[in-house]
Amino acid sequence: MENNINYNIIILGGGQVAAHAATTIRQEDESSSLAIITNENYLPYERPPLSKSFLLNKVKESDFLFYNEDHYKKLNIDILKNEEVINIDFEKKLLESKNKKITYTKLLIATGCKNRTLDLENVNSDDVYYLRDINESIQIKNKLDLAKNILIIGGGFIGLEIASSANQLGKNVDVIELADSLMGRIVPKEIATIVKNKHQKNGVNVHLNTEIISITKIDDGYEINLSDNSVVKCDMIIVGIGAMPSVDIFKDSPLKIDNGILTDQNNKTSIENVFAAGDVANFFHPLYEENIRLESWKHAQNHGVAAGKNITGIKTEYKEIPWMWSDQYDLNLQLTGRCDQYDSFIKRGKDENEGIIYFFIKNNKIVGACGLGIGGKIGKDIRLAGMLSERKVEIEEDFLSDPSSKLNKLLKK
Amino acid sequence: MNSENKQWIEVGTTDQIDMEDLIRFDHEGKTYAIYHIEDGFYATDGICTHEAVHLEEGIVMDDEIECPMHQGIFNIKTGKAMGPPVCIDLKTYQVKVEENKIYIEI
Ligand SMILES: Cc1cc2nc3c(=O)[nH]c(=O)nc-3n(C[C@H](O)[C@H](O)[C@H](O)COP(=O)(O)OP(=O)(O)OC[C@H]3O[C@@H](n4cnc5c(N)ncnc54)[C@H](O)[C@@H]3O)c2cc1C
Ligand code: FES
Repeated sequence: MENNINYNIIILGGGQVAAHAATTIRQEDESSSLAIITNENYLPYERPPLSKSFLLNKVKESDFLFYNEDHYKKLNIDILKNEEVINIDFEKKLLESKNKKITYTKLLIATGCKNRTLDLENVNSDDVYYLRDINESIQIKNKLDLAKNILIIGGGFIGLEIASSANQLGKNVDVIELADSLMGRIVPKEIATIVKNKHQKNGVNVHLNTEIISITKIDDGYEINLSDNSVVKCDMIIVGIGAMPSVDIFKDSPLKIDNGILTDQNNKTSIENVFAAGDVANFFHPLYEENIRLESWKHAQNHGVAAGKNITGIKTEYKEIPWMWSDQYDLNLQLTGRCDQYDSFIKRGKDENEGIIYFFIKNNKIVGACGLGIGGKIGKDIRLAGMLSERKVEIEEDFLSDPSSKLNKLLKK
Repeated sequence: MNSENKQWIEVGTTDQIDMEDLIRFDHEGKTYAIYHIEDGFYATDGICTHEAVHLEEGIVMDDEIECPMHQGIFNIKTGKAMGPPVCIDLKTYQVKVEENKIYIEI
């Protein structure tokens, strides 16, 4: 392939947004030249299995591609793999990788997130694992085959999902978390406690309010002193302490960035003909009347579709209700709407068997909800809570708190 | 199973399923989902092809069923998986209604 290439439309980043945006662009525009540029060696794939079914060997790589090679060929979408864009010149509309210069007319930035990293004293960096892409998941899988004792730093969704998978593979697992509750501030403590109890019942040691005091290298791994006075031996360390938008290459550019790339409700950035979507975008949400940034599967899909339309000139306002899930063991946790800005909450259901939901209420309306249940127990009510928040339906506490009342009745009001 | 071995099994009555809703029907170790939508009654396998969750807890919108676990969507009439995360179609079954009784052919 030539080293100087031009495309009408380029999608920078080859993840979930890219798959959906490219496909959408082709539904509206058959003739513009279109390419996805990715630093990965894979076609766009789903990330949720990386910490769950893929680690558990229940699925293989080809099972969770969004689309196969034929799809992109048929739609005349070029995918430039293993091309890390290292420089961008918005004035010249030019992207540079090590060996290529690529110009564009319109650009969609979909570079996603990168993991926060941790400097651990006395630890060889090869012994520390992070999880964001397939290669890292394969590395974790290979190491898990050999390792017996796993230390996971960070009790967020991804750390806990890996803990659940490693536990199911028969490993001894310790999870340490700085805060006094798992999964951050937005998951209600009662729900976080049920999840913690599940991990502990299965044999995972969960250390809350805990940090690392010191690490000593021993023969076959590390001995770690924790602030809760316990000493943990491990032969593998996995760090899951959150992620941040992948925006390094835009640092010295005029692109406006504040906790991700700032966009309006139409995926537009501060630069003409440059759009952004997915994990990397801090977008204006018309319903909430402020900018928010989400790291979620459903959002990446829908924001990608909206971006595809907006790029082709079909003005599409993006105002989907946020929704995400986490699966650990047989538990399914879901969050919808806004779970950080409410006056009060109403609880429905008592435990994971019945399904337990916290509805977050502001001005007598649902603004968000968090639920936990076995299998699909809480999915329907969480979905309906999202719809009720969108339509700003007034609610009654007695009705909402009664697990036998059907929430869809409120929609028909 | 060839069609001669198929039989009509009664799964319930029409008043048991609200409009835009579904019920679960278990028979000989298998689970089926029976739907009531604008165009009538339909039946599919009752378990999501993604991760074996009961569709009974899912949500019916027009002629689609959305899985409660990861919001995978299937067409109720054809069983077609409408996109990721679901990629394997649901099996569908013939349905007939006689005197308020619903039967599916399995
Ligand atoms: C392990 C894991 C588990 C998850 N589980 C869930 C879950 O259970 N539920 C849920 O709702 N969400 C989950 N998510 C979140 C979800 O997968 C993401 O929100 C989604 O993938 C975001 O899509 P995106 O296209 O914005 O970014 P990504 O899918 O991350 O794609 C970004 C792509 O851009 C590439 N890239 C970045 N910089 C450059 C560059 N300079 N040059 C070239 N290429 C570049 C990256 O390598 C990557 O391929 C999970 C995420 C992870 C990592
Ligand atoms: S289990 Fe149905 S969509 Fe995943």
